[in-house]
Amino acid sequence: MGQERKIRVLIAKPGLDGHSRGAKVVAYGLRDAGFEVIYTGLHQVPLQIVNTAIQEDVDVIGLSILSGAHLTLTQRIIQGLQEKGAGDKMVIVGGVISPDDTLKLKGMGVAEVFTSGTSIRQISQFIKDKVRTGALASFEGKGD
Amino acid sequence: MSDDLKAIAETKKEWEERSVAPAMKRFKLAENPTRFYTPLDLPDFDFLEKVGFPGQYPFTAGTYAFLPYQAGLKGTGFIPQSPELVRAGRYSGYGAPEDYRDYQKQMYSLGARTGPNIAFDLPTQLGYDSDSPMAEGEVGRTGVAVSSLRDFEVIYEAFTGEMNIDRIASNFTINAPANMIIAMYVALAEKRGIPIEKLRATPQNDILKEFVGRGAYIFPPQPSMRMMRDSIVFITRHLPNLNITSIGGYHMREAGATREQDLAFSMVIGAAYLQEGVNAGLEIDSFAPRFSFNVFGGSMEFYKEIAFQRAARRMWARILKERFGAREPRSMLLRQAHTAHIGCSATTLQRPLNNLVRTAVGGMASAMSGGAPESWPPYDEPLGLGWSLEAIQLAEDAQRILQHEAKICEVMDPFAGSYFMESLTDQMEEVGWTEFEKIQTMGGVVAAIESGYMQQEVAKSAYERQKRIENGEDLVVGVNCFTGEHELEVTTARLVPHPYDPEKVELAESKQMANLKEVKRARDNRSVTQVLKDLEAAAKKETENLIPKLIECVKAYTTIQEMCDVLRGVFGKYEETNI
Repeated sequence: MGQERKIRVLIAKPGLDGHSRGAKVVAYGLRDAGFEVIYTGLHQVPLQIVNTAIQEDVDVIGLSILSGAHLTLTQRIIQGLQEKGAGDKMVIVGGVISPDDTLKLKGMGVAEVFTSGTSIRQISQFIKDKVRTGALASFEGKGD
Repeated sequence: MSDDLKAIAETKKEWEERSVAPAMKRFKLAENPTRFYTPLDLPDFDFLEKVGFPGQYPFTAGTYAFLPYQAGLKGTGFIPQSPELVRAGRYSGYGAPEDYRDYQKQMYSLGARTGPNIAFDLPTQLGYDSDSPMAEGEVGRTGVAVSSLRDFEVIYEAFTGEMNIDRIASNFTINAPANMIIAMYVALAEKRGIPIEKLRATPQNDILKEFVGRGAYIFPPQPSMRMMRDSIVFITRHLPNLNITSIGGYHMREAGATREQDLAFSMVIGAAYLQEGVNAGLEIDSFAPRFSFNVFGGSMEFYKEIAFQRAARRMWARILKERFGAREPRSMLLRQAHTAHIGCSATTLQRPLNNLVRTAVGGMASAMSGGAPESWPPYDEPLGLGWSLEAIQLAEDAQRILQHEAKICEVMDPFAGSYFMESLTDQMEEVGWTEFEKIQTMGGVVAAIESGYMQQEVAKSAYERQKRIENGEDLVVGVNCFTGEHELEVTTARLVPHPYDPEKVELAESKQMANLKEVKRARDNRSVTQVLKDLEAAAKKETENLIPKLIECVKAYTTIQEMCDVLRGVFGKYEETNI
């Protein structure tokens, strides 16, 4: 048994929105908080994100969307994950999201929605708590 | 040191001992928490060299002698109007072309007499048609969908007669496919029998900043610069009333750039475009006057934003005069639609009505830095795409109050000669030049983007800001301070129906699918194949200007994506560097 495996997080920019400040700041912040972070870069179609998440064996997928296309894109990604047997990966969303849409996203299976003003501490804490309480099934028992 | 300065220095020392020290002791402070500026901070100040008169070199005091809206004319909110000016109206665009045309007709019936200031949807901005898998969920959302000339023609059905395109001005917020949109405007004019030299428009056409902020790029930086060169040459020769570009630091600042990075990067980008024109054999004064600026970034730091605007005007004028040898004062003008403001990223989702106060401060900075007292953005900016009419009303009223009640616009550059403001402006410019030169020694702006330097610097600055907010070094009211349980979340309803119909946004994608199908059925597909072949051949020849070929393409109803796919094949696609 070696060191505890770091929680792996994919920060992804689905769709054509190029506003990457939030994604990059969260990526840097989670990296500094001890997570293993992979950033997809811009202009990713849902299937690319699903494939990257599986290849990189991430525990958490953070989607950053500020273009208003969050419902369609998130739905596609969650569907894609389920179809490929990776539906247990936690999906969180960040961006300009109204309270109504937050409810819709959670209805699709999104674990949490983080909007403007959220601190990295909150995001990092949220992920860690989920891991600790076992909600992050894919993480359990993955120490190497 | 002159005797005067000596006397001031002595008095300052005395003041520090007799007045400052006891106050610090009284409040148990180790340092004076404020600063007081004196002539000692500005020892060799030369008014004419550093400031000059508004509308005269080096333009520190203002781009123009005065702004038209102050000459007793009422501005219409964000767009100061005057009977003497032909300008595009407020930034707008949504849905399918039919929806946006109807919106424009509705605005006309409400009294608007301005040309369209077009927001395009993301697929259009990135060279994808509405029926592309890349476009799913995005059609008609951030702006109107335009896949072919047919869509452009539909939008402009709202602009005929007294509003025909030889009488109005259009704005196109588009960068990577800017030359395709310019080609569409030319084709539209030709179809309407309007001489193309009568066209007035401003394409944003500032691709380099897209690599640093916002990310609406398609091709790598080098071929993107070739597209820019084609615009500069074609517009200079054939479209004398078009602005070539509308350069913006705003997107970079919103992406996280510091004020100093915003200044240096904007200047270095502008200078790189100028150099393209010169390299193409154009005389600097023949095209520099057609360069315009959109807007730099902003922040809540009132004084610094005013100094920034003053430094930017002076720096641009010096670049033109000293580096490019421009002789016409008009070439040296930093022509921009907006001056200082707070920036959208200064608005907060938490207790959003506070944004009204923030933007009123921005409106003051705007007026005091040579612009209209724009209280921008409307307070509900962080709540989602599109502002409510109530928020727009409040923002416009804030501007009117500043202008007509506070009379804030009565003086040009009210800080001119201030020991504080002049030394701050000098410092700002100096830091700007240092970074400007640093990028030049890296091989110029294209090299600095290819290496990822500018993108990484901006991302780092964004992260530094986030850390300062999280550790309480930078305070944001209602976000990281004054958030106790006794604070009230004051909200207000947004009930007036917005002219954008949300149902139409949802239907835009399917509507556009049908439109495209019809376009592809009705056009002569053999000639489409031919013009695309011609485009490809021309693209492979670096020296050839592609705009005439693009005009042929759009006239044959070739789509944005068909044109961009051909160019993607020749130029390649830009892939982001690692963070």
